[in-house]
Amino acid sequence: MTPDLSTRVSTVQFKNPVLAASGTFGYGEEYAEFYDLSVLGGVIVKGTTLEPREGNPPPRVAETPAGMLNAIGLQNPGIDVVLAEKLPFLARFDTQIIVNISGRTVDEYVELARRLDAAPAVAAVEVNVSCPNVEMGGMQFGVDAALTRDLVQAVRGATALPLFVKLSPNVTDIVAMGKAAVEGGADALCVVNTLLGMAIDVERRRPLLANVTGGLSGPAIRPVAVRMVWRLARELTAPIIGSGGIMCARDALEFILAGACAVAVGTANFVDPRAALKVAEGLRDFCVGHGISRLADLVGALETG
Amino acid sequence: MESLAARITRREEVAPYHYALELDCPSVAHEASPGQFVHVRVSGTDDPLLRRPISIMLRDNYRGRIEILVRAVGRGTAILSNLAPGSALDIIGPLGHGFPVPDEDCTALLVAGGVGVAPLVFLADTLQLAEQHHYVRGLLGAASEEMLVCWQDFAGRCEAFQAATEDGSAGTRGLVTELVPEQLSRGVDVVYTCGPRPMMARVAELCAEQGIPCYASLEQFMGCGVGACLGCVIPTRLQPRHRRVCKDGPVFDAAQVAWEELIER
Repeated sequence: MTPDLSTRVSTVQFKNPVLAASGTFGYGEEYAEFYDLSVLGGVIVKGTTLEPREGNPPPRVAETPAGMLNAIGLQNPGIDVVLAEKLPFLARFDTQIIVNISGRTVDEYVELARRLDAAPAVAAVEVNVSCPNVEMGGMQFGVDAALTRDLVQAVRGATALPLFVKLSPNVTDIVAMGKAAVEGGADALCVVNTLLGMAIDVERRRPLLANVTGGLSGPAIRPVAVRMVWRLARELTAPIIGSGGIMCARDALEFILAGACAVAVGTANFVDPRAALKVAEGLRDFCVGHGISRLADLVGALETG
Repeated sequence: MESLAARITRREEVAPYHYALELDCPSVAHEASPGQFVHVRVSGTDDPLLRRPISIMLRDNYRGRIEILVRAVGRGTAILSNLAPGSALDIIGPLGHGFPVPDEDCTALLVAGGVGVAPLVFLADTLQLAEQHHYVRGLLGAASEEMLVCWQDFAGRCEAFQAATEDGSAGTRGLVTELVPEQLSRGVDVVYTCGPRPMMARVAELCAEQGIPCYASLEQFMGCGVGACLGCVIPTRLQPRHRRVCKDGPVFDAAQVAWEELIER
């Protein structure tokens, strides 16, 4: 028996629920040297801005207990290069391409969405309202419900592509943010981006990151992320793409049982370049081993009795 | 490319908290060029999480083995340096762009500091084995005699070799960079350096003054090791200015590195 791993997020059909998370996978080029990206449900590309960005000064990453901090600062070549050079490479694979967009202002997000609307091979737009490492834009939007709603609404008007909104966990009430995004017109929620954190070199009395603070990712944040997915899934009907420290198929299943209909694998790619592939294979093996014919039946199947 | 299980065939403490590990990994040994590194997973668990980039110090293509030099400075490298021969190590490699090797006979000056000797041992070995007739001069600096890590491995592959120690316990007393001007004045076609950033910055400055090409192997905290995460960048004089140590480096044309920003941190 070959289990059905396919999943649908809004109008986007994925062959399996495993996506590569934005910012951990570039534009796919590096990991294509390790495996055929067509085995993935989708690839969410690096955060893209209108103009090229040089990003934050180094050091940009630091290891923390069962996790890591990063403050890349959205280094990317800008939408023109992404459209002309990066997406055509990725389009050679049989996988859904989702472009993560970030701007300093609402107008920049709108312009990015407008440009992507006309682009071939883009399955959806991931609206990044949760980058913790830039001074303007990013998380500024994602920690304020009204700003989130207005931003998503404006972007909604600029494209017919499905809009996935990537939420920040750095809020008191994740449900309020999710509701705001859905009210603005979000088709799905990506839950979650990194948690703000910092680490200090006590000998040098300096932060480990030049940016002082950064985003925490990896297994350390998984329980936080699973809970947020669970909360949102109970309160809202919008589909959820879960992410946060997924290292293996069992981790992905936690998110799926909590209510995510797809998952994004991020930091694990750094530890094992084939991590996302292995999660997809592991999900298939789990279904086979447990006699599950349709993985989608497990979405939100958590029993709390 | 794939990650592979490399068996540790030898482990030797070569200086206080410095360990040479020999790994059985024929594909890496076959493909490696000097200046490249392997990205090593130190544990099979989630903590410590990330791989560690480690320079290749030598390769034995015939036996399918490489040697890496580990400086046990943190938890990850401590675990790594304590692995017993026979253990399997999950590595990816060889990765990165190494030293450009001249295709005509040349006089090369190799300036190493501390654990930075590792890729220069490999380079000296490669230059000696090349079909061209290269003349290799080596300089090695450390705090004291016992910290002149693997100096015999290095000196044995150089036609001329000098050491410098800060406490004067071996070689010339002082910094290794103080030996560079005299070497350059004798005529050098190309300089290669690896070591502490202030050392490399000074070597780069001295080479720039005389218009001698200089290549430096840099280190940076690293995430993926394959070019995707943009975590390990350094500032350069190029556009765009941030370049990845793992993919664009670890060896850079020293004239293109923004040293003043690098040594600030």
